[in-house]
Amino acid sequence: MPAELSRLLNALGLIAIVTALSIAFVDQLWFRDLPCPLCILQRAGFTAAGVGIALNLIFGPRPSHYGMTILGASVGASISIRQILLHIVPGTGSYGNAIFGLHLYTWALIGFGLTIVWSAILLFDDRQFETPEPWSKRLDVLPLTALVTFFLLALGNAVSTLLICGFGLLGQCPDNPAHYLLLE
Amino acid sequence: MMSLPFLIFACALGAAWLRQRGVAIGLWVAGVVVMLVLFRIHVTEVLSISL
Repeated sequence: MPAELSRLLNALGLIAIVTALSIAFVDQLWFRDLPCPLCILQRAGFTAAGVGIALNLIFGPRPSHYGMTILGASVGASISIRQILLHIVPGTGSYGNAIFGLHLYTWALIGFGLTIVWSAILLFDDRQFETPEPWSKRLDVLPLTALVTFFLLALGNAVSTLLICGFGLLGQCPDNPAHYLLLE
Repeated sequence: MMSLPFLIFACALGAAWLRQRGVAIGLWVAGVVVMLVLFRIHVTEVLSISL
């Protein structure tokens, strides 16, 4: 795989993660569907996976960066599976709004699975690792936009989570938040 | 603080942008560890089912 194609695929991967995080934000802000602690951790899982892709864009593709993406997505998938299991028994309800018949935690598991498969497929081609190239020296519009948006979404999620959960110690975030704790 | 992973990952991105690859990876590892700790805290929330 040529370096240019690898860069394009990594940029598209980061845009996919940016899209997933943005949809979660729209659901939170527009439809007033506040995220639960497990939902927040799934967002963090997407962010962890995205950092590996961002490193690919900045330093050039390396197997360790793909490993970071796969590990981050695996942690996120574990959290999604846990939340799906919380609601898998009929009659136990669900959390949040459904989009096209599936709740966000189910979509998140699909997204994490696709991220893992996508990374594994990209790892197949060793030619991208032969000529390490620091792409950040000549980042074009698509990777740069993806990187900046991803960084802003990470910061936005930090602020949003702070507003929902407050400055409390670990584990003090409400299980079913109905309002922003810091805006009361 | 639930917002800690996002802050750590944002710092990792900042370090990467400043060409500090080792620092970025170290921060990423710290962020994942914090995520796992937070997951451990919330994973045992009671199931709302009656058996």
